[in-house]
Amino acid sequence: MEEVVRIVEEERIEYKNPIVIEGLPDVGLVGTIAASYIVEKMGYKEIGYIESDLFPPVMVIHDGKLKCPFGIYGNGGVIVLLSEVVVPPNAVYPLTRALAEWIKEIGAKLVIPITGLPVENRVDISKPGVFAVGNSEEAVKELKDKQMELLEEGFIAGTYAIMLRECRKRDLNAISLLAQCFPVYPDPGAAASAIESLEKFLKLGIDVGELLEKGEGIKLKARDLMRQINLSAPEMQKGVEQDMPIMYR
Amino acid sequence: MEIGRRMLKATWGYDGNLEPLSEVEDKEDAILVTFDLPGVRKENVEIYTTEDTVEIMAKMSDAVCWERWGGIQKRITFQAFRKQIRLPEKIEPEKAAASFKNGILRITLPKIRGKVLINIA
Repeated sequence: MEEVVRIVEEERIEYKNPIVIEGLPDVGLVGTIAASYIVEKMGYKEIGYIESDLFPPVMVIHDGKLKCPFGIYGNGGVIVLLSEVVVPPNAVYPLTRALAEWIKEIGAKLVIPITGLPVENRVDISKPGVFAVGNSEEAVKELKDKQMELLEEGFIAGTYAIMLRECRKRDLNAISLLAQCFPVYPDPGAAASAIESLEKFLKLGIDVGELLEKGEGIKLKARDLMRQINLSAPEMQKGVEQDMPIMYR
Repeated sequence: MEIGRRMLKATWGYDGNLEPLSEVEDKEDAILVTFDLPGVRKENVEIYTTEDTVEIMAKMSDAVCWERWGGIQKRITFQAFRKQIRLPEKIEPEKAAASFKNGILRITLPKIRGKVLINIA
């Protein structure tokens, strides 16, 4: 049977138990902005892409070259998954299953989906806080050791939520970083906070100064993708993240 | 149908205006409208309201020129944001209030009729 999601490695590289960073479009575009900044600052090359008949029929052109909008970047030690288009809700399950399978195959030691945590008073917060969710006891212990603030109760929704589950099913440790962000506007400040927290797991030594400096320009370029996210948010059940679980203790 | 139309509509115009991201929230006695206006200073924002619309025009401090993007719009320059929103309820334009912080414009538009207490017979 033909695979629903195909992970295409264009370049064979030797993986050395990499850490996988996932930056897919979601609230505040935190993951996408953070992942693109990491790729740019670290000079990671594109090593592959992800395609699926469930994705929108869209290709992207950069420097005159035709590319798949869902790229895989990095080297043997760090892999960055970055999408320039919204993942449709019906693609979330097959995508996360295929990604978790592939990540297991390459022997990754940790998966870190980066996303946003919408807060109404974001405009009054000068430095967004970052919360974390681990998908196993080991992952939670690591978060506590690194003195990360845990998200202790509540719902999480979207690709990153299912990614945590699919990784757990395969005994892969995953930690999601959620930076406080604007609910419906792109948030480079939140992306900067997320990158700073990422340093606790991965010493990349990235200075976020330029990201904050160029924040307004990034917001301008990110308007259209943010608009697509806002349109798909209800179908992705993002509203549930504001709800209290019935089993709250 | 509405979503389909919105998806097809570009968020920029040949007149040099960009459509800003915005949000409309119902806050019981008022409608709260926010706009994301990167690259804009408070003194360059103009807001107009009627009973059922709010319109903003905001000049950017520096014009933005995207030189390599697209075919027909190559080398297009944008210098302002412009958007008109039809409000879900009638408001009192004279009582509207606005604030601007970190590129976010917040406009509070009090509804014409506030809450009415109904006695239970």
